[in-house]
Amino acid sequence: MIKVEKLHKYFGDLHVLKGVDLEVAPQEVVVMIGASGSGKSTLLRCLNFLEMKNQGRILIDGKEVDPATTPLNEVREHVGMVFQHFNLFPHMTVLENVIEAPVHVKKVPKAEAIKRGKELLEKVGLGDKGDVYPEKLSGGQKQRVAIARALAMEPSVMLFDEPTSALDPELVGEVLEVMKGLAADGMTMVVVTHEMGFAREVADRVVFLDNGMIAEQGDPETFFQNPQHPKAKQFLSRVL
Amino acid sequence: MTSFFENLISTFPAFMEAAWMTLRLTGVSLVLALVIGLIFALMKVTGVRWLGIVYNGYVGIIRGTPLIVQIMWLYFGITQIVVLSAFWAGTIALAIHSGAYIAEIFRGCIQSVDKGQMEAAESLGMKRALAMRRVILPQALKRAIPPLGNQFIIGLKDSSLVAFIGITEIFSLSMDNAAVTFKQLEFYSIAGLYYLAMVAIVTFVLSRVENRMDTAK
Ligand SMILES: Nc1ncnc2c1ncn2[C@@H]1O[C@H](COP(=O)(O)OP(=O)(O)O)[C@@H](O)[C@H]1O
Ligand SMILES: [Mg+2]
Repeated sequence: MIKVEKLHKYFGDLHVLKGVDLEVAPQEVVVMIGASGSGKSTLLRCLNFLEMKNQGRILIDGKEVDPATTPLNEVREHVGMVFQHFNLFPHMTVLENVIEAPVHVKKVPKAEAIKRGKELLEKVGLGDKGDVYPEKLSGGQKQRVAIARALAMEPSVMLFDEPTSALDPELVGEVLEVMKGLAADGMTMVVVTHEMGFAREVADRVVFLDNGMIAEQGDPETFFQNPQHPKAKQFLSRVL
Repeated sequence: MTSFFENLISTFPAFMEAAWMTLRLTGVSLVLALVIGLIFALMKVTGVRWLGIVYNGYVGIIRGTPLIVQIMWLYFGITQIVVLSAFWAGTIALAIHSGAYIAEIFRGCIQSVDKGQMEAAESLGMKRALAMRRVILPQALKRAIPPLGNQFIIGLKDSSLVAFIGITEIFSLSMDNAAVTFKQLEFYSIAGLYYLAMVAIVTFVLSRVENRMDTAK
């Protein structure tokens, strides 16, 4: 589904990703954890080319994506992204947010997009909020709309960058529930999160990023019970 | 004081005609300026280097020189190459002038939209141009309305400077009257009153538009 080989990323002199190798299989849920500044967001953003890698290869659906020759907007149609701060379009209603890309990018007939959009809102528990503007929603509701908006493009993989970090604690659960549902439906997902409960319960694999490198990875059971890398031990002792 | 009101009344028809000229100059030049401003702002935010240089040159020159110099330059310069009425020379000069300020307003408003908006749009597969049109511009234009209103009022008053290329608008009419009657203070005050009235009308319309935008989205 996604394959990353020897990925390097610099911001000026700052070497942020130092040769990351990562493979995500279809229907796999990979949870990425690591200290702040370890490069989790950067890695995720490289996967849909919001950041451009400096070295290495990125393959999506088996095909190498070369930003110089591949139209990135077409790649991104298959890679959904959910942001920490939702980034809903404030001048559009909830339903308009959801149908925007299907109608204007995929050229889905509007009536069909609306029907599908309403189903998706139903699915994230917001069937009654279609005509509301985002500013009227709670953070948890906003994030569920953002998930529905990404799903409307029928991506083959979904990337989540700390989707619950900007939420009040009591709103975290409703977003995680939606994500669990997605995982159960077989969506391929890469999730950066500090919700260790979610990682334990839903992840097929946990990837621990340290200082721009994958220091350790494995199934959640083993990783949480018995981390090997000293930095992973230290990190877990702080967050668990 | 009686003479002031007599003068105000006796010149009323002529001033109404002149006010109509001022309005036309202002209206046409501002519509052109909006187009110029939007095009230049979009050029600037593409991040393409040479477009940015063109933008900086345009805005730099316009902001760095007085409007009256620009009007003269256009009037005496362009009319050597193409036949252009004083009205169009004045209108184009005003448009190019306001265009630079409006470009700055648009640029600022576009860049003030959170960059997460463009990222979200792009992550949905939208090309930059589509994202700009559907996501960024609607938000930027809404924010641009108050400063644009301010710029419109400045444009209205700045139109008085085309008096110096022989267009009969409010200010030149008051100059003519002042010269003939030697009642400078009265006629420039009358000119001031007309501008005041026109600005009041524009301000009223703008406040209505702003309220609309607030309630309707
Ligand atoms: N656009 C950027 N320009 C410069 N430095 C950046 C940029 N984005 C991230 N960084 C730096 O890269 C490092 C990794 O950041 P990030 O990927 O956001 O980490 P994480 O998501 O794990 O907290 C940090 O040191 C951060 O300051
Ligand atoms: Mg981050």
